[in-house]
Amino acid sequence: MKKWMIFICILLLPAAVLAAKPSVYVYNWTEYMPDEVLSAFQKETGIKVVYSTYESNESMYAKVKLVKGKGYDVVFPSTYFVHKMRNQGLLAPIDRSKLTNFKHLDPMLLDKPYDPGNRYSIPYVWGSTALAYNADHVTPGQMTSWKDLWRPELKNRLVMNDDLREVFGIGLIINGYSVNDTNPDHIRTAFESVKKLMPNIRVFSGDSPKQPLLNLEAHAGMIWNGEAYMAAEEYPAIRYAYPKEGAIFWVDSMVIPKNAKNKDAAHRFIDFILKPEMAKLICEYVGYAPANRTALDLMDRSLKDNPMIFPDPSVVKKGEFQMDVGEAILVYERYWERLKTGL
Amino acid sequence: MNENKGFKNTAITVNMLWICLFVLVPNLIVVVISFLERDPAGFFRWEPTISHYIDLFDPVNARVFTHSLSYSFGTTLLTLAVGYPFGWFLSRVGRRRRPLLLMLVIVPFWTSSLIRTYALVILMKANGVINSLLLTLGLVKGPVSILYTDVAVYVGLVYSLLPFMILPLYAVLEKLDTRLLEAARDLGATRVQVFMKVVLPLSLPGVMAGSIMVFLPSLGLFYIPDLLGGAKSMLVGNFIKNQFLTSGNWPFGSAASVFLILVMVSMMAIYLLVMKRFNRSVMS
Repeated sequence: MKKWMIFICILLLPAAVLAAKPSVYVYNWTEYMPDEVLSAFQKETGIKVVYSTYESNESMYAKVKLVKGKGYDVVFPSTYFVHKMRNQGLLAPIDRSKLTNFKHLDPMLLDKPYDPGNRYSIPYVWGSTALAYNADHVTPGQMTSWKDLWRPELKNRLVMNDDLREVFGIGLIINGYSVNDTNPDHIRTAFESVKKLMPNIRVFSGDSPKQPLLNLEAHAGMIWNGEAYMAAEEYPAIRYAYPKEGAIFWVDSMVIPKNAKNKDAAHRFIDFILKPEMAKLICEYVGYAPANRTALDLMDRSLKDNPMIFPDPSVVKKGEFQMDVGEAILVYERYWERLKTGL
Repeated sequence: MNENKGFKNTAITVNMLWICLFVLVPNLIVVVISFLERDPAGFFRWEPTISHYIDLFDPVNARVFTHSLSYSFGTTLLTLAVGYPFGWFLSRVGRRRRPLLLMLVIVPFWTSSLIRTYALVILMKANGVINSLLLTLGLVKGPVSILYTDVAVYVGLVYSLLPFMILPLYAVLEKLDTRLLEAARDLGATRVQVFMKVVLPLSLPGVMAGSIMVFLPSLGLFYIPDLLGGAKSMLVGNFIKNQFLTSGNWPFGSAASVFLILVMVSMMAIYLLVMKRFNRSVMS
C-alpha cells in the first residue's frame, strides 16, 4: 500500500511543479520554429512553453474548434483560416499595447482583407504560390502566365499542389475571376478550364511539390516559393516565375484562441517572436520570408536579394491573398471530386 | 488456482474495457453522426436524416467507391498470382532453408510502409535506379515513365500486401499431404490435373484467407496511390478525409466510413459462409 502511495506521489510531482510555473501552450506547424527560439523565450521570461504541432490547417481548425479554443494559447493558421476562425468567433482580439515589437512588421503584410486592422492576427511568415519550371526542358520565356501551363508540349509533365483551392484558384484567375470567388457559375467555369488541363498534369503532390521536379517526372507546375528555393539549391535549372496575372499569396499568422487560459503569456510569446533576431532565426530555419521588416537588415545579402523569397512589392500588390469561401467550399469540393473521378 | 482465475478475469475485463472504450464507442459515434444533418457552424446538428446514405450512390461518389474496389480487386489477383507460386515453393523447399526464406518475407515489414513506399519512388523515378540501369544498358533511349502510373500503384500495393497472401497460403500448402499428389499421379492424372483437382481445392482456404487479408487493407491504403500514382484519381480514403477536413462535412464522411465498414463486414460474412460450406464438403 505504502509503495503505491509513493508511486502515485512521484507521478503527480511533475504535474504540481508544472501547475506552479506560468506556461504558454503553443500549437504550430511541424518544423516551423527552431528549438533555440523556444528555449530563449523560456530563459528570458521564465514562462514554460508547451509545444505541439499539426500538419494541416484543416486538422488544426477541427481540433481548435472541437475544444472551443480551450487548451491552446497561440496558434498559427494560414490566411483564409484566420478569416474563417475570426468569422466563427474562435479568436480573441489582440491587445496591441502589449506588443512592443509590433513596429518591426512589414506594412505590406498588414491590414489585409482576411483580417482588416490586424485585430485578431499577427503575421508570422509569408510566401507565394506561383510557377516553377525546369530550364533544361522548358524555355524560360515560355513561362510567364498561368495560361502557359495549358501548353500542349507540357503534356503529362506538370506537378500541381494537391489543394483544391489553389488548383481551382488558377482556373478562376485565367478566367478573370478572384481566387476567392463564391459564385457557383464562376467555379464551374474554373472547373471546365482545369479539366482541360488534366492531360498535362502528371502528379498532384500533397507533401512536397519539389520532388517530381527533382525526379524529372515533371518539367513545370505550380509550387510554393520555399519549395522552389530548396529545389533550386539542389538543381539550379529549376526556376520560379511570378505569372503576369498575379501569384497567390499566403501569410501564416499568430492568433490567440478565444478561450485561451494564458492570454498574457500568449501576448508575451507573440511579442518575443516579433523581435528581429528571433525572426531572423526563424527565417533561416523555415526557408520562408519573415513578416518582420527590421529582420531583413540582419540578413545575408544573397538571401535578402533573392526575388524567390522576397518578391518586389509590385508583384505582391498584383497578387491575391486567399480568403475563406464559406459554404462555397462544398461547391469546390464537389468539382474536385468530379475532376478526379473524370465525371 | 483461484488467483489464476482472478488474473484471467482481470486480463479479459481490461481488454474488453479497452476495446469498448477505444473501438466500439468511437465507431458508434461515427454511426450516430452519419445519420445527422451537417451544420457549418458546429460540424453537425441534432436532426436525423438518411440523405447522406442516398448521396453516396450518386454517380460521382459511386465512382469513387467502384474505383477503389477495382484497385483492390486488381491487387488481390496480382498478389495471388505472385504469392501462390512462392507459397508453393516455400512449402516444398528443404526444412532447413524455410525459416530463412520466411524471414526474408517478413523482415522488410519491420520498416514503416510509408518509408518503403518512398524507397519505391527512388527506384521508379525518371532519374532513379531502374531508369538509370535501362539507360546504361542502352535498352531505352529516354527514361521510361513508371512513377505516377497505374503500374507504379500496383507495384506498391502488391509489394506492401504480399506477405498477407504468402503466409496463409504457405500454412495451407505446407500441411498438404504429399501422398495425395502421388496417388493422383499413380492414377494417371497429368500435372495440370493434379493441380486443378487436388492441390487447388485443398488450398482454397488459404486462397480465401489470403485474398481477404489483402483485399480489405488495400481499400484503406490510399497513400500508396497518392504517392506512386500522383493522386490523380480519388479513392475512398481520400474521399472520407476530404469530407472531414476540407468541406467540414462530418456526417457525410461518417456515412462513407460506415458504408465502407459494411462492405468489409459483408466480405467477411461471405468468406465465413464459403469456408463453412467448404469444411462441410470436405467432411462428407
